[in-house]
Amino acid sequence: MRIQNHPILSFNRGKQIKFYYNGKELIGYEGETIAAALYANGIFKFSESKKLKRPRGIFCAIGHCSSCLMTVDGVPNVRTCITPLKDGMRVESENIGVEINE
Amino acid sequence: MSKIQNLELLVVGGGPAGLSAALAAANYGIKVSLTEEREFLGGQLIKQTHRFFGSEKEYAGTRGIDILKKLIDEVNKNNNIEVLLSSRVLGIYEDNIVTILNDHKMKKYYPQSIIFATGASEKFLAFENNDLPGIFGAGAVQTLMNVYGVMPATNVLMIGSGNIGLIVCYQLLQAGVKVAAIVEAAPKIGGYSVHASKLRRLGVPILTSHTIKKAIGKEKVEGAVICELDSNWNEVKGTEQLIKCDAICLSVGLTPLVDLLKQRKVKTTYVSELGGYVPLRDENMETSIKNLFVAGDVSGIEEATAAMIEGQIAGLSVAKRIGKNSKDEIEERIEEAKNELELLRSGPVGKKIRKGLSKLGLNHGKNYNEKFSEEALDISHLMKTGVPSEENLKNKLPSEEKVFDKGPIAISECFQRFPCDPCVKSCPFNAISENGNINNIPYVDFEKCTGCGICVSKCPGLAMFVIHKNFSETTSVVIMPYEFLPRPHKGEIVKVFDREGKYLCDGKVIRILDGKFQDKTAAVSIEIPKEYYLQARNFKVEEGNHG
Repeated sequence: MRIQNHPILSFNRGKQIKFYYNGKELIGYEGETIAAALYANGIFKFSESKKLKRPRGIFCAIGHCSSCLMTVDGVPNVRTCITPLKDGMRVESENIGVEINE
Repeated sequence: MSKIQNLELLVVGGGPAGLSAALAAANYGIKVSLTEEREFLGGQLIKQTHRFFGSEKEYAGTRGIDILKKLIDEVNKNNNIEVLLSSRVLGIYEDNIVTILNDHKMKKYYPQSIIFATGASEKFLAFENNDLPGIFGAGAVQTLMNVYGVMPATNVLMIGSGNIGLIVCYQLLQAGVKVAAIVEAAPKIGGYSVHASKLRRLGVPILTSHTIKKAIGKEKVEGAVICELDSNWNEVKGTEQLIKCDAICLSVGLTPLVDLLKQRKVKTTYVSELGGYVPLRDENMETSIKNLFVAGDVSGIEEATAAMIEGQIAGLSVAKRIGKNSKDEIEERIEEAKNELELLRSGPVGKKIRKGLSKLGLNHGKNYNEKFSEEALDISHLMKTGVPSEENLKNKLPSEEKVFDKGPIAISECFQRFPCDPCVKSCPFNAISENGNINNIPYVDFEKCTGCGICVSKCPGLAMFVIHKNFSETTSVVIMPYEFLPRPHKGEIVKVFDREGKYLCDGKVIRILDGKFQDKTAAVSIEIPKEYYLQARNFKVEEGNHG
């Protein structure tokens, strides 16, 4: 959900653009991070942990904790919390359906 | 192979410390390259919507975001500074060659000196289910709501009552998010009492001697189990309670980002008071390796004002070392900055920092005065609950009731010693004094005070009120600070609350000062039944009245 009115801040959002989350078309704003755009669309589960398949989302949002890694336009392990959203971007969850050999 | 570019000074990190360092050096003719990982400057200052404490010289009373605008503006105007955005420092080698990644290309630089202002990252906490989505660092919540205008959740449980936890809770409320409670493991509140008091007035519970046991939920946070702790930090059996919430925010401290320093084999040591591993350094911010400097949180966790001053010291030290002229003037400015830092750290809230710095062998505090190292008042009740005691209140009220007969007067509800002076500096009648030291508690001279209400909008802690006891035969007026939506209208009836957020009575809005001068901290005059003039400290505007 987006904040519409704020007592201190005004948000100058960029151009409205389309992007894709696991193939599903979503709307975001140019210049915001991928993570912010996903959250604004109500998506909090970004990926799964490799072994126990536990849901993974944002923790630090400043590019340090690796919790928000996703595959973006085919590039794996992108820090979605600090990567700006671009028109037509394809954002995919990681480790869903991946088998790990012990 | 790409060529190696020579630089005079490379500053790593575009937060408050890095910006100040770049400016300080560039102002004395040093050619500075300022590199920042993100596509914009500012670091964590970009999300600080609150007014800063500290001294007026370092922008006290100004919101963090507005301080940032001034710094960026100065940087952009300075021809000696080259800003490298979206540029991540990947490595620093034994010969001080630095590699920077920008747009998938790696470039090599050879700087004469480097200032590392890489900041800090948030600490984590061990409890069951702590990896669920919806568990955030407090800074992450700030980023989502204050930078991108995205609601992080609808009802948040905050773990940790340091200044960051308290400030983020207030910002959550401003963004329209509910705060279920603040949980603090220590027996007392960690941050400044004024931040805690603001939240209590708004009805947020602060549970000291409590901790989180586990998060509830499968795909996302749906609640949390908390429990009480005894004096040995052990769980008190039978005190478990379930808190409903859709996010848990961890505000349990920061740790310096020393990775690059370690890569270059700068000597580091563990100092718990400074947040973890910190570089060894001297008073001029130079590390164990010559010409490599640090500034801000990477040199030890403190706050943004100290980071800016450390940045200045580091920048000036580089200018003194490699610059061509003005050496005496630079030396003078370094001394000034050091004295300012010392003053900031000289109060009781600076104790931890002073202890940490002494472990680094730093002799900060040659002007340090014993008098300011202890609290002046007994604030144990206030620090446990966020609500001042009767004695605390009595201390700041006029000693004689008849003083209220002269008309409106300002009342300061600030009881703790910490470095801050906007109330003193903003008063046009010199009616507020801290007796010459910004660490002292401010007192109002009721003879001089006219009750104008300027201080109500300027106090960063929202701890100034104006009371007009005898407004009419049966009513009093209290001027209160207000930073929420919707804004009230003149003549509107609002709900009035006490210092614990309990409903007292209805009140009538009779005047609103909400212009450019107030800068979004409105001073609102509320008329209330006379019996409540010493209790009424908050009001809420009903959403429905404003369509």
